[in-house]
Amino acid sequence: MNWKNVVHLIRVDMKSGRLLRIRKLTKYHERKFFTYLAYGCALILGLTISILAGVFYSSASAIDPSLPSLIDQTILSLFLSMPTLVLIYSFIFTMFQQIQRTGIKFSFQAPYWLPITWEEHTLASVLANLLGFPLASIIFIATAILVFSFFIGQVVFAVLTVLAICAAAFMASTITEIFRILQTRFIGAVYRSTGRAAIWVRFIGSLLFFIVFYLIYFYMVSGPGTVAFIQTVASAHSIGWFIPFVWLGMVLYSFINGLFLQSFVFLVLSVLFISGLFYLATLLNRRFGLYEPPAITISRGVYAPKAGLLGRFGFSTVELALIRKDFKAFTRRRELMTIFIMPIVIILIPLMQSFGTTETATPQASLYLFALVFLLPASTMAISLGNFIIGEEGQAVWRIYSSPITAKSLVKSKYFFIVSFSTLVLLITGTIGSVFFHPTLRALQVAFLESFFLILALGSISLSNGIEGADFTEVPRARMIRPLWGLLNFAACFIAGLAILFPFLPYVLTFIVPFFATPFFDIYQAVIISAIITVGLTLTFYKIALINARELLTRAEI
Amino acid sequence: MTLSCSLVVELKNVLKRYHEIIAVDHVNLSIKAGEIFGLLGPNGSGKSTTLKMLLGLVKPESGSVNVLGIDVQEDPVAVKRLVGYVPESSRLYEFLTGIEYLDFIGDIYGMQTKEKKVRIGEYLKAFELEGREGDMISSYSEGMKQKIVLISAFLHKPKLLILDEPLSGLDPRSARIVKDFLHELKAQEVTTILSTHVLEIAQALCDRIGIMYHGKILALGTMEELRQMAMLPDSGLEDIFLKLTGTNDVRAIVEELLK
Repeated sequence: MNWKNVVHLIRVDMKSGRLLRIRKLTKYHERKFFTYLAYGCALILGLTISILAGVFYSSASAIDPSLPSLIDQTILSLFLSMPTLVLIYSFIFTMFQQIQRTGIKFSFQAPYWLPITWEEHTLASVLANLLGFPLASIIFIATAILVFSFFIGQVVFAVLTVLAICAAAFMASTITEIFRILQTRFIGAVYRSTGRAAIWVRFIGSLLFFIVFYLIYFYMVSGPGTVAFIQTVASAHSIGWFIPFVWLGMVLYSFINGLFLQSFVFLVLSVLFISGLFYLATLLNRRFGLYEPPAITISRGVYAPKAGLLGRFGFSTVELALIRKDFKAFTRRRELMTIFIMPIVIILIPLMQSFGTTETATPQASLYLFALVFLLPASTMAISLGNFIIGEEGQAVWRIYSSPITAKSLVKSKYFFIVSFSTLVLLITGTIGSVFFHPTLRALQVAFLESFFLILALGSISLSNGIEGADFTEVPRARMIRPLWGLLNFAACFIAGLAILFPFLPYVLTFIVPFFATPFFDIYQAVIISAIITVGLTLTFYKIALINARELLTRAEI
Repeated sequence: MTLSCSLVVELKNVLKRYHEIIAVDHVNLSIKAGEIFGLLGPNGSGKSTTLKMLLGLVKPESGSVNVLGIDVQEDPVAVKRLVGYVPESSRLYEFLTGIEYLDFIGDIYGMQTKEKKVRIGEYLKAFELEGREGDMISSYSEGMKQKIVLISAFLHKPKLLILDEPLSGLDPRSARIVKDFLHELKAQEVTTILSTHVLEIAQALCDRIGIMYHGKILALGTMEELRQMAMLPDSGLEDIFLKLTGTNDVRAIVEELLK
């Protein structure tokens, strides 16, 4: 193992983050202060908290003579559970780190032609995964433990705990590395593939992931709670001693109970287990490190040009071609699939919250959840699609620039795509909402119409902003919209959404505040006012979108 | 949209600056119908910017650009309908299959379904892409992607071809097909503007050659005229190019490297 190579590779990995953070790539100047700021803050925070806790501990006997021994016990059990807790959260955060850096990992293939071994690659990758928040939190915890241990006289145990924490973080990162390689090989192949089967695999896979995630989340929030969860983890060591992931905790558990031989045995077992994981990661990297998914064939030799039903509704061949292309993009490109996931996530939250409470919930709560299910997913879809639909062209935008596509055709086809897909989402989520919350026919009609109004207006606003703020950068990952424009669009849509729903304010207030006077106008009159606002907003922003599109096609700088 | 005296391309006193850098410096250029015109020059000499201006992809600061009798700034879409373009670095929609991409191109140029089908089939066969047309473009090699880009430039029978490094990554057979095809198109009055760093290709293909340097047209003419300008009779284009661009200190650099 050439350690210098490992260090060089980690440095490269650290610098690769620049492409995610920085837009101005020429005359770049790195400020080291900011690179290490998070770690410095973690250190200072750890020191401050531990000193304050230590001062409190020193004066605790004055408050209550039994308090120091109680704190000792609590702190020791916290130390014991630390390796396992660090293992869990490091795993989660290194996975997040991987998701964040997926584009970079994809863009920068391992430089296999250089004299670097796969062991060095793997070690560098495992350590680099820990950079950022995972490392900062380890620094914070380690500092706090070490400094506080001076106050309670447990320095040796604290040092051992810190070593166990570092080993746990390394173990978590190695597991993440194993997952990453397996994903590249197996799930990666699914993501890069296409066809109906792959789309369903992706769709169901994502759905399952979010359902499991939310089940755990709601278990933690509304179940036994976080404290109970930590206590369970701490007490689980002696029960689950045979599970390799708790062996680091067992080292500490045995040590603190004076079972030094047992502690040593678990230490050796832990080292062997971590080495085994690392060996597996190296083996997988060697096997699949340079894996390229095979060519995916959708159709072979079959040519089926589609005349298209939309042609009868006044769409030109150019517009139809753009709509078809966008449909394929949004069902085949991984980064665009997330847009479809968003409505599912939004709909899952109120549904999970309402589980088992639909019969007992107050009318206000039911109405709130029903409105959430009906109004939010489709309008979010319209906002997201509008935001990304121009920027998703990426660097292949030269084709749009160099083809005889007018601004009118571009805006028409993109706007149609936004509205039709968002309406489809509205129909699906509306059906789910209706099944769950049993609304009245009147409520159903109003909710449907208002959702559709939101789609029309927010789609138009987002499209105009999406054209103006389009970012065609694709390396290290597709940006699609400049962050500032994304934020501006969100703010504009929020205000527009409130404006459209404003006529319903008296009704909402009557519902929430019982003594509020019943509105003097009918709810359908509110719908008409809302429709007028929608038409105004939609037409104005559609015209702005046309102006922006004309400018985009004229500017056309690739 | 009538063509005056068969001039397909007419640039008059065109200037384009990127901040303080002058990319195209008051260029005047006329290209006739049916001509294969080579636009050469070192990296950063302004070739690609000039080609993009012909399509309205880059707006000149001053001067006028006329293509096929149309003012590019006034009606870029009309120009684009008549032009086939191969950019310097062409990114494709990698999530489409080869045939889906070409289908998309055919629709964009308003081709009839039957004509589109026939022509796509012919080109796929000619470029040996048959059997791979149903594969995702992301699985194609660079050469195969270049073939798709070339087919999409030829598909709608353009009157003007603007080709920036068109043979890059192509296998010898396909490269030969493209070269012969361009010769045949010349007979049908199709004009080609070709930009390349492979000087042998330019010498073999082009009727006239323009050499750009620091945004200006340094030399313009047939091979014979360029030889006379460089005072290098019987020389190849490489020597002429190096002499005219003042970059013929190659020998000294090589000797320095060998030290």
